[in-house]
Amino acid sequence: MHLRLPELGEGVHEGELLNWKVKVGDIVTEDQPVCEIMTDKATVELPAPFHGKVTELLAKEGSVVKVGQEMLAYEPNAGAATGKEPKKSALANAPAPQASVPMSASPAAIPYAASSASGSGLAVAAAPSTRKFAREAGVDLSRIPGTGPAGRILREDIERVLGGGTGAVSGGTPSIAPMVLRQTPRTSITAGAPGSEERIPMRGLRKKIAEKMRQSKDHAAHFTYVEEADATALVQLRNQSKEVAAKYGIKITYLPFVMKAMCAALKKYPILNSSLDEEKQEIVVKKYVNIALSVQTEDGLMAPVIKDVPNKTILELAKEIQEIVERARSKKLTMDDLQGSTLTLTNAGSIGGVFATPVINYPEVAIVGFNKIARKPVVVNTNGREEIVIRDWTYFSISLDHRVIDGAIGAEYMKEMIRHIENPALLLLDTNGS
Amino acid sequence: MATTTQTADVVVLGSGPAGYVCAIRLAQLGRKVTVVDRDEIGGVCLNRGCIPSKALIHAGTLYEKMSHASDIGIEVKGASVNMPKLIAWKETVVKKLTGGVAGLLKANGCTVIAGDARFTGPRSMEITQANGKAESGKITLNFNQCVIATGSRPSALPGFDVDNEKILDSTGALLLTEVPETLLCIGGGYIGLELGTFYSKVGSKVTVVEGMPGLLGGVDPALAQVVAKKLTARGVEVLTKTKIQGPAKITKKGVEVTYQPEAGKPVTKTFAAVLVTVGRRPNSDNLGLEKTGVRLDGKGFILVDPQRRTNVPHLFAIGDIAGQPLLAHKGSKEGIVAAEAIAGQKTVYDVIAMPAVIFTDPEIATVGLTEAEAKAKGFDIQVGNFPFAANGRALSVQESEGFVKMIGDAKSGRLLGVHIVGPEASNLISEAALALEMGARIEDLALTVHPHPTLPETLMEAAEATLGHAIHIFQRKPTAPGPAAHL
Repeated sequence: MHLRLPELGEGVHEGELLNWKVKVGDIVTEDQPVCEIMTDKATVELPAPFHGKVTELLAKEGSVVKVGQEMLAYEPNAGAATGKEPKKSALANAPAPQASVPMSASPAAIPYAASSASGSGLAVAAAPSTRKFAREAGVDLSRIPGTGPAGRILREDIERVLGGGTGAVSGGTPSIAPMVLRQTPRTSITAGAPGSEERIPMRGLRKKIAEKMRQSKDHAAHFTYVEEADATALVQLRNQSKEVAAKYGIKITYLPFVMKAMCAALKKYPILNSSLDEEKQEIVVKKYVNIALSVQTEDGLMAPVIKDVPNKTILELAKEIQEIVERARSKKLTMDDLQGSTLTLTNAGSIGGVFATPVINYPEVAIVGFNKIARKPVVVNTNGREEIVIRDWTYFSISLDHRVIDGAIGAEYMKEMIRHIENPALLLLDTNGS
Repeated sequence: MATTTQTADVVVLGSGPAGYVCAIRLAQLGRKVTVVDRDEIGGVCLNRGCIPSKALIHAGTLYEKMSHASDIGIEVKGASVNMPKLIAWKETVVKKLTGGVAGLLKANGCTVIAGDARFTGPRSMEITQANGKAESGKITLNFNQCVIATGSRPSALPGFDVDNEKILDSTGALLLTEVPETLLCIGGGYIGLELGTFYSKVGSKVTVVEGMPGLLGGVDPALAQVVAKKLTARGVEVLTKTKIQGPAKITKKGVEVTYQPEAGKPVTKTFAAVLVTVGRRPNSDNLGLEKTGVRLDGKGFILVDPQRRTNVPHLFAIGDIAGQPLLAHKGSKEGIVAAEAIAGQKTVYDVIAMPAVIFTDPEIATVGLTEAEAKAKGFDIQVGNFPFAANGRALSVQESEGFVKMIGDAKSGRLLGVHIVGPEASNLISEAALALEMGARIEDLALTVHPHPTLPETLMEAAEATLGHAIHIFQRKPTAPGPAAHL
């Protein structure tokens, strides 16, 4: 029997096989994830629709697989019924049910089975004693470049990775040199020496990010404009909102306010909510506003989308942002979460920095960068008198595609957006952003 | 009957090649081991399988060679087979080995209990001690961990009730004290063919009935073909694509059996004896496994992880009971892995190459991928054959049938599989297994000097043949471009 790649979502015809979560010989239970597939939109785990034994992996890690393609071969387990719970009477003395534990190796319990060398289908090229040595040292052979004939992994290759040099493991009594106390040389890594570099395959999300960024820079005529903003009122409003939001179990950040301000300024400058159809040479202005939010995850940058921002309340937005960020970090984003953005907001302020020059989320034409808010002494004019006061200060960046947006328009948009940031009451007056 | 309660650290249930190896390794690692077996120490392998069958096969081959010795100028007169004596000699071989294993278990401090065990819970079993033992009665044994190694037994064929007089299973076929005049082997797998060949050699008129198109399912058909051809030449009737129509009828003359060839009418014949070898089934029933929560697959094999741990973490399963392939050496390897896992070592069953040997005439031995498997996996393969007829040693010992077939990956030059049909194939395959475990390239086998005149030279030559330049056969041009060009 063969498992074929099922439909992954509307308009998605293929994906990249990131990694197998099972190997040949594993007994797979129904719904157990067998592999991770990365599509243009999201990374999804493919659950097994069967209970049985994997007999062959037909697709290679890192390869592009198409919907309907045979992924793996398996022997279905006619006796799934034998896995049924023992009868009640028998359970009296039985251990806690373990039936849900998949019988494949859990990585923690079984270190490094002799897996096939990455994707080639060939068994790992290492002697049994070398494999044992690696297992005991906790070294994953699939990550080690072999220096032996035909790329065979030698014991020395593992010792090198362990950083001990050959003497550390090969035994023998070290002789103590008389008179001179020789210091053990620090393991210095010389460029070009075997093992001095690690080559990480460009796969999955990393590959996707690289492609997207290159595409953006190849197409859009980037320029970045930065303006400062007094966020004192925003900070106060957000602090006041915290308590209310907490009652709904929501942790409120500045982001929903910024998104609202972005929408408000779009009312005046809708051209920023557009894309350029290069083929037809038309600017496509969108009447709906879906804001993508850049989220750093363990695997890399992702941009889940908050839909229909103008028609949602601050609190609704806060809740959605909280949930979507959580889904991104726990790798549970759906295809829908990643589709349909018209404008992007990136938030670098949580780490630091003065301002960033973000890369446009192509084919959009604008990306707003929200930076750090810091307490700063500033000169203000109160009733004709200048004084230095402490304010919550920040910078907003905006990168634009100059093919569509001229500098002046971008600057005006920013001015309008910041007007709403500095006077957040405006956001409340009209949530539709005029 | 008195019931006593005892406590054990690790129980190994079953003392076959999986169980006893596991017990010894556990003892070496400092664990206190109790071995429980309802039969003799050594399991099927030593008592009713590998060892006794090989003793008989050796005797059959010796008798046949004597019968043909005049071909090379040695006149032997009056050679005959004394079955009771042959069976008794075979028993001495078995006893020597089982006695040796029992001695090793004792020397390693293992406690052995002879009796039938049933689990009463995940950490307890009840043992009904074997009859005739001084301390008869029942024992309740509580343990910390248990390794289940209860093996497998011959599958039954409905309508053929094994009486081990006229209808035999593999066990009964090793105990006959008379050579049956005619013998029907139902099933053309390795057990049926090994024993059928023996009886043919000692004088039975043998018929083999197999439902599939070829003998020895799973083996490269080119290899099975050599065996089939020699069986036919020896006078064995080989009927493939033929189905038995049961049930058997026991008559005064023997067993009346009807079989249906794919084409033609059903045939009814009477055989002095019928040997039923239609597979083996796991001994997982009647063990009380339902009291442990251990999960089985649909065929009754226990599901295990790569350390041979079941879904119940303190219970392990090894050998035939833990699934295919049902091979003694696979069980022994699992025994070592399970013992080390119990001792907390970072161990795993990471076998790349599991060799298999079949003691037909000539022998078959294989390791690694078959040509069909390699193709199915998408390898761009190189194949080389070298016939034993071109090997000096094979000719000089009158064993020139068969060949060595080698499969390689053209892209990397790596060895993928070796398949041998021919003299001493069983003794030749280990070199190939080592090569596969070491990740060898075909070239490695070709470049390694093999002593002359020996049978292993055929492996070196097959490697050369794969690269397109064997010395002792003429190859018009390289079979495939590749590493050969850079030699």
